[in-house]
Amino acid sequence: MEPVLSVQNISKNYSQVQALKNVSFDVPVGSVFGILGPNGSGKTTLLGIILDIIVPLGGHYSWFGGMDAVQARRQIGSLLETPNFYHYMSAFDNLGISASIKQHGIDDRIRVLEKTGLLQRKDSKFQTYSLGMKQRLAIAAALLGGPRVLVFDEPTNGLDPSGIAEMRELIRMLNSEGITIIMASHLLDEVEKVCTHVAILKKGELLLHGPVDNVLRSDDILEVKAADMDALQNVLRSMNGINSIQHVNDLLLLKCVAEMKASDINRYCMDKGIVLSHLVLKKKSLETRFMELTN
Amino acid sequence: MTSLLAIEWLKLKRYKTCWILISFFIVLLPLWNYCIIEGMINMGAKGVNIFNPSYSFPAVWSNVGFWATLFVVLLSILVIIITTNEFTFRTHRQNVIDGWSRLQFFHAKVLLLIMLSLAATLYVFIVGAIFGYANSGSFNAMFNGTEKVFYFFLFTINYLSFALLAGILIRRSGLSIGMFLLYIFVIKNILTGILNYTSHDWNIGNYLPLQSGSELLPFPLFEMARAMIKQGPQPIASYVIASIAWAIIYYFTCRSILLKRDW
Repeated sequence: MEPVLSVQNISKNYSQVQALKNVSFDVPVGSVFGILGPNGSGKTTLLGIILDIIVPLGGHYSWFGGMDAVQARRQIGSLLETPNFYHYMSAFDNLGISASIKQHGIDDRIRVLEKTGLLQRKDSKFQTYSLGMKQRLAIAAALLGGPRVLVFDEPTNGLDPSGIAEMRELIRMLNSEGITIIMASHLLDEVEKVCTHVAILKKGELLLHGPVDNVLRSDDILEVKAADMDALQNVLRSMNGINSIQHVNDLLLLKCVAEMKASDINRYCMDKGIVLSHLVLKKKSLETRFMELTN
Repeated sequence: MTSLLAIEWLKLKRYKTCWILISFFIVLLPLWNYCIIEGMINMGAKGVNIFNPSYSFPAVWSNVGFWATLFVVLLSILVIIITTNEFTFRTHRQNVIDGWSRLQFFHAKVLLLIMLSLAATLYVFIVGAIFGYANSGSFNAMFNGTEKVFYFFLFTINYLSFALLAGILIRRSGLSIGMFLLYIFVIKNILTGILNYTSHDWNIGNYLPLQSGSELLPFPLFEMARAMIKQGPQPIASYVIASIAWAIIYYFTCRSILLKRDW
């Protein structure tokens, strides 16, 4: 199937700083695609370029297998850093402008306002809204007319914990309705929880991209300990599937092949007459992995 | 095209500032001319009034046309405000994200400005016709001198497109309005003076941005004086061409800024 979005060799400079360097990737249909990177890595610039509010230095992108970019944007809902609306107009009228530009969704306004809990305040002016309401109105605008793709820039930024949970639930729900989601985030945890695919940016360079499970796969470590550490080490050396053994403090740290289970080690040692006094499987934290990737 | 204008209309219909400025234009233009006719606004003494209170056809067109140019400043400020509002609210980005091309965003503003100029011109024509009728007693000579109304249209298009350029270039409303007023009331006059003084008979200064439009609708007394001292006719055609050329230059400058710049 044609990717929803194909980005090819996009570059962008801000005076001396190179914000993006030859970035290329595809966003598969139906994915939740995370663009992950620390602050200043070029995530927002990249989103700006694919929405034509930032002009790239080089490279190109295509939506829906080469649809005209203006037509394509009418099928995309976006939520960039700040909600942008006419201050002197009501939520309902503001959505009217968005729908008129999109050329569809004018009858959809009540539904999206209800979905975002703003129906009661639909006739209040935008300038009277609280920050949270402004953000919800931006979500309402993004959902107007049933988009094929949603683009979110740091969707949980500035939200309280329950807001964050709601937002993630919303993203999952929309994705389950078949909407492809492209989101930028500097939170590894968020990407891991929500995304199916990820592209990692660092200082404008695309380090890795692909399914989350591949990109963020981390090697597990087994910690073992026994009364006779030397005997234990000898036994383990003879075991298949252990890639390395490290003696740290009074523990042995084992790096094993992916299929290895803690119970395999335990059984093997028992068979060889060694009783383990300590056996712990340690997942290497994703943060560590992320730091490795981006430093 | 109509859909672009329809969306601009949605943006403006609930914008109070817009209607206040337009109301000022609508009320002040006839009121000012009425005060001139009645001699309530005058300049001079001992029965001499250099504000020419002749409002019969065709002189009414020169008078109403000239005074109307004063109030175009209100409409220019309106254009600056609605342009810079888009940048302040960042709705220029939202419009593009929602599915306008950058050019559609720009052309919506251009169309709005043309409609505003047409409406203002029509209004000046109506006000002129009413004052002309009241002072001539008939509509017989009404269409003599109506080229002034066309000049007013050119003048307004020039001012409003210059205002649009100022808004797009500077992006901030206060600064844009300040720079705009500074140019039309001070800098333009200084430059015109210097250039006319140094270029002698060529009067190059008269072709400066916005000045060429003003040359089309001079202060009525100057026009009379010029006729009396039998100075050669004004190169009206070249002012018309210069005004059109400037409007085109503003259009392409705005366009290239909007297409190249990050939003």
